[in-house]
Amino acid sequence: MAKAKIERTQKLFLKALKGKFKEDPQSTSVVYAREGLKQSPRKREFLESGKKMEMARGISMYDPVRCHLGGIPLGQRQLMTYEVSTTGVFVEGDDLHFVNNAAMQQMWDDIRRTIIVNMDLAHQTLQKRLGKEVTPETINEYLHVLNHAMPGAAVVQEHMVETHPGLVDDCYVKVFTGDDEMVDDLEPQFVINVEKLFPAKQAAQLKAAVGKSMWQAIHIPTIVSRTCDGGTTSRWSAMQLGMSFIGAYRMCAGEAAVADLAFAAKHAGVIQMADILPARRARGPNEPGGIKFGHFADMVQADRKYPHDPARASLEVVGAGTMLFDQIWLGSYMSGGVGFTQYATAAYTDNILDEYTYYGMDYIKQKYKVDWQNPNEKDKVKPTQDVVNDITTEVALNGMEQYEQFPTLMEDHFGGSQRAGVLAAACGLSCSIATGNSNAGLNGWYLCMLLHKEGWSRLGFFGYDLQDQCGSANSLAIRPDEGAVGELRGPNYPNYAMNVGHQGEYAAIVGGAHYGRGDAWSLNPLIKITFADPSLKFDFAEPRREFAKGAIREFMPAGERSLIIPAR
Amino acid sequence: MAYKPQYGPGSTVVAENRRKYMDPSHKLEKVRDISDEDIVLLMGHRAPGAAYPTAHPPLSEQQEPDCPVRKLVAPTDGAKHGDRVRYIQFTDSMFFAPAQPYLRSYLESYRYRGVDPGTLSGRQIVECRERDLEKYAKELVSTELFDPARTGIRGATVHGHSLRLAEDGMMFDMLQRCVLDKKGNMVKYVKNQIGEPLDKEVKVGKPMDDKWLKAHTTIYHSLGGIAFRDDAEYIEWVQRIHSLRTKYGFMPEE
Repeated sequence: MAKAKIERTQKLFLKALKGKFKEDPQSTSVVYAREGLKQSPRKREFLESGKKMEMARGISMYDPVRCHLGGIPLGQRQLMTYEVSTTGVFVEGDDLHFVNNAAMQQMWDDIRRTIIVNMDLAHQTLQKRLGKEVTPETINEYLHVLNHAMPGAAVVQEHMVETHPGLVDDCYVKVFTGDDEMVDDLEPQFVINVEKLFPAKQAAQLKAAVGKSMWQAIHIPTIVSRTCDGGTTSRWSAMQLGMSFIGAYRMCAGEAAVADLAFAAKHAGVIQMADILPARRARGPNEPGGIKFGHFADMVQADRKYPHDPARASLEVVGAGTMLFDQIWLGSYMSGGVGFTQYATAAYTDNILDEYTYYGMDYIKQKYKVDWQNPNEKDKVKPTQDVVNDITTEVALNGMEQYEQFPTLMEDHFGGSQRAGVLAAACGLSCSIATGNSNAGLNGWYLCMLLHKEGWSRLGFFGYDLQDQCGSANSLAIRPDEGAVGELRGPNYPNYAMNVGHQGEYAAIVGGAHYGRGDAWSLNPLIKITFADPSLKFDFAEPRREFAKGAIREFMPAGERSLIIPAR
Repeated sequence: MAYKPQYGPGSTVVAENRRKYMDPSHKLEKVRDISDEDIVLLMGHRAPGAAYPTAHPPLSEQQEPDCPVRKLVAPTDGAKHGDRVRYIQFTDSMFFAPAQPYLRSYLESYRYRGVDPGTLSGRQIVECRERDLEKYAKELVSTELFDPARTGIRGATVHGHSLRLAEDGMMFDMLQRCVLDKKGNMVKYVKNQIGEPLDKEVKVGKPMDDKWLKAHTTIYHSLGGIAFRDDAEYIEWVQRIHSLRTKYGFMPEE
């Protein structure tokens, strides 16, 4: 057999395979014990809890022994555990369903409840139209008032209802600017300090991009965005912003200038995390289907924490993205049910995609002299078709061969869609990190799909027939009706709208192009800075670690309700 | 110049098998006998001997519109009789089962009329009029396209194509629709394709040996088979297709 083009003795997935299966990872046969549900501690817990709930509510529910396949329960083969990649934490598959994982819920909550609002427009209104003085002192006072008001407290009115601080403690506002002097004059509690949070090179880029303008990173209460929707975020925020300006700057509540402030807060100066979707999707802004891949790559902060490992940074985007786009967006908003989790988790468990991607890194270093551990724009390879074809072919063939040589690895990714997403992601990331071009990465993705399909005469589920077999033709087209640069595509891009196992990876491919160049952001510096905030409940620099914490029930989310419900 | 199908590239046995199976002029090698009744039992759509349920009256009895397409396309036997559309679905082990999902869909499209194949990673379904289906299914099961141990007839709960084999060499089936009778080295179906118990066992033959499987398979596999990497012609062809599709995404004016 012809050999892989580079030697890589390290197999990152081996530890997980050895932990999951008691047999040799290279064994080709196994005795299927058919132990059923009871082999899994989590299923045993479900059985016990289901019984209790049934007794309490008087309506039957979890009864897999009777209801699954007319009496044949799950677990006719081994119910595998999964290592959340890079964490060393083994979890049950069930623990990675977002309903069972508070960290996953919080990640999405933290995006949906976030809005960024410009302050310069309001300051101009105050200064030029009303002749008010705006100084660091007045801004500090305003932020103090705002952090009182934003969670749902009254500022100007008499006899108003208010929200319980213990229920909305996750709600706050901070500001950021590229103006170091201004930062020095503001109270540290109110500032996202770019200089301190980012590596020097990234901080310099970000500060230059923001300049002297000032922005508010606003996070409304989790409980509010859950009860309402993403479209609420800008409205809730704008109302409290307006009232806080009135209170802090002693304005007349009804004067016409208030309309200017409201217009800035609701429209002119607002950055939504996600665009509104067409009516057939029936979703407002700040819902997952409207998040541009470039913006998502900016939300995830692993490139800030691991600036010398663009592969790691991209893999964190894969984990976060497959969770949000596959498990929550496609899996529940768009479809419903539980099956999508199985697709998504393949990309962030057992270090399999990690291994394939690092093989790609070794390859681009050896063949194209890309110093990927020292991200810079100078050593990027020209994104020609030949380069994309070469990198993709090698990374795809290596991945397929790993699945073949380690039958337990194939068994781990037992579905073709899982393998297709993982192989193509490794190819796409290798191409985008090597070239610094997100569309070259997407093009690599689609060649991988064709190679995979021809090699094994199978690919994923029916959906792959559309997206992945016509993707070559739109991956480099930039005309709006055929395509767009990857940064501007999103889950609702025509061919992507209904296909699990792709969108998180696409976002990572987009991010990889920039992480590989050492860029401080992919599409929007404001979003990059906003999600660097350590006060957020979810740590966007370590999504996979957070998911693992959620799985083992060590993640503390927002959205407390025990204050207002009977004690158990 | 008359169109001559090429069926696909590649310089290996795997590629050659793919071309052979797709090419209707290649007569598929018959490997086992299976009766019409047994095929009907395996699929489970109707009881053997029962009349074919219909979706519409026979074409000869219904008023057909004056349609040029209908004049051009001769109906299949099943369509003529107004049969309902039913299916057979296969799961093919990646451990060298003879047919694999896309290959199945391609060969069915080349060889059979009036079929609607659907391709996934772990299963492949073909749907058509019931009496046509029974004829096609018989060929799909009795010829070199089928191995009793590595090919499964599975309507639902298809899990198994990518799993390690059981200790007796059978592909994993959660529902255990078929079992290997070790004494006679014979695979017997005890449930139909959707897992309903059969009143009588259906024998589908002896598992083929490794040598036979590797000589007949249509999957590239580096563990004991032919690695995809080793078929340079095939890979070059895929790259070419991809490159041309990419280029013409731009609709160049040349």
